[in-house]
Amino acid sequence: MEKLRKVWWLIPVVLIILYPVTIGGKSAYWSGILVFAGIYVILAVGLDLLMGFTGQISVGHAAFFAVGAYTSAVLTVKYGFSPLLAMFAGMFLSGTLAWVIGRPVLALKEYYLAMATLAFNEIIITLIVGFENITGGASGLRDIPPFGIFGLVLDNPLHYYYFVWAVVLMIIASSVLIIRSPFGRTLVAIHSDELAASTFGVDCAKYKTRVFVLANVFASIAGSLFAHYMGFIAPDDFGVSTSVNILVMLFLGGIGTIYGPILGAIFLKLLPEITYLVQDYELLLNGVILIIVLVFMPKGIYGIFMTLRNKAFARAGK
Amino acid sequence: MMEQDGVILKVVDVQKSFEGVHAVEHVSFSIKKGQIKALIGPNGAGKTTLLNAINGIMPPDSGHIFLLGQDLVGLRTDKIAFLGLSRTFQLVRMFSINNATVLDNVMLGAHMKLKPSLLESIFLRGKVEKEEKSAREKALELLKFVGLERAADTVPTALSFGNQRLVELARALMTEPRILLLDEPASGLNDAEVEDFTKLLLSIRDKGITILLVEHNMKLVMNIADDIVVLDFGKKLAEGSPQEICANPEVIEAYLGVTNKECDTII
Repeated sequence: MEKLRKVWWLIPVVLIILYPVTIGGKSAYWSGILVFAGIYVILAVGLDLLMGFTGQISVGHAAFFAVGAYTSAVLTVKYGFSPLLAMFAGMFLSGTLAWVIGRPVLALKEYYLAMATLAFNEIIITLIVGFENITGGASGLRDIPPFGIFGLVLDNPLHYYYFVWAVVLMIIASSVLIIRSPFGRTLVAIHSDELAASTFGVDCAKYKTRVFVLANVFASIAGSLFAHYMGFIAPDDFGVSTSVNILVMLFLGGIGTIYGPILGAIFLKLLPEITYLVQDYELLLNGVILIIVLVFMPKGIYGIFMTLRNKAFARAGK
Repeated sequence: MMEQDGVILKVVDVQKSFEGVHAVEHVSFSIKKGQIKALIGPNGAGKTTLLNAINGIMPPDSGHIFLLGQDLVGLRTDKIAFLGLSRTFQLVRMFSINNATVLDNVMLGAHMKLKPSLLESIFLRGKVEKEEKSAREKALELLKFVGLERAADTVPTALSFGNQRLVELARALMTEPRILLLDEPASGLNDAEVEDFTKLLLSIRDKGITILLVEHNMKLVMNIADDIVVLDFGKKLAEGSPQEICANPEVIEAYLGVTNKECDTII
């Protein structure tokens, strides 16, 4: 039993590897859906580090999703960068920008922080629409080249599926290592009580900024992966509604657990495929699901999963 | 300013007011290394305000506070912590988000030693885990020292108020402080617990840690304090040994009362 606990993570990894050749049936459509799910997993995990662990609300997580996507798109379309190089440029730009705005923005608390991040999201969108000759404005940017690594162009959804999920797994693994280290403990202390944390030598502003940078570099990676997969991006993809969607994933899956938001992201991205008959009511459905989750299962999907697991372990006899 | 006569903390002419109300007025005193110094006085005398001024949570309006010759005024709380000053709170402040356990709380005390970084957490796992292991062993040792080793894996909110105070004490000791500020650590403890707590404080002092204690429990104070400062309405009313304080008519008038049995035991 103890061994099973240590290697349980192999199960989802194997599922991810086998999925396209079994259940997915090599269908490009389903690989594509899971590419999107993977991209949102990256966004949700980053936001969970910032919000679930460090307690810093963000209603503008899509802002750096946009920065990553547009840096990738503009550099490849207009300046002939390779997608991989463009992605690193986006990460660098996002990290720098997050570092610069992190300290003043994160000095705000609660509602004020929520408003500031929401406003930042709007500012980014306004800038994208405004700088039309670089970004294509409201009508978007097209003909973004697909990802290629080491001369291999990933224009096949199946190949891209494996590439995206390799990145997703690396990001999940990094996040789990972070929360299972003194760094994670410090984040939880800041979340619980900043004043008390500072009496133990925690420079709260510094640690909050670090997490903000990390979460937004993750978001930037997601943006690049998104841009090169879609081939076409427009400001609408990165608005406040996208930010709210990521928030829904966090609460739906179980905030502050890393694994919960992963489940939330996959669930919410697969949901429209299952309930496509009511696709016109997708937003309404999101709202209803969020309300049900918040009222009846505050620990989210992951909470249900853990309850079941604990029961199973209890029944199996200690 | 140089360190004199083994003085570890020196408070010089500290003043703090809130919207015109003088919470602390021109208070000066010093603490010698290895001493237990008690800060007593009626409610609202400015004791907690003074502690908050010392550890930088609410810096004083004027005056100086020297820790081993270095002025703490103007330094941030986290910087002051690095100089070897730790504290507990009047109303306990536990880290309880995300099911943080008692052990997690105590281990946070190792923050200054571990100096966690993002890149190390991801790429230098061996080093991080080795340091974590020794921090965990030390935290468990301290929990044992305060008698709570069996509560290590519970959430702090499941403990009694008195036990949460002991967790705070272990957490503060985890930082390996030079000086420890304790804000009413014995409030809410019964007589037997106070006796255990007295022994605990004495053994902390015997480890060479200086203690500044704000406390209302006179039995505790008179038993263990080497030196006492009495505050009243933000001003220093008296300073001296327990014997001197007990014999001081002004202190009796303002705080101790005429019939004080704790004083009778030591005079």
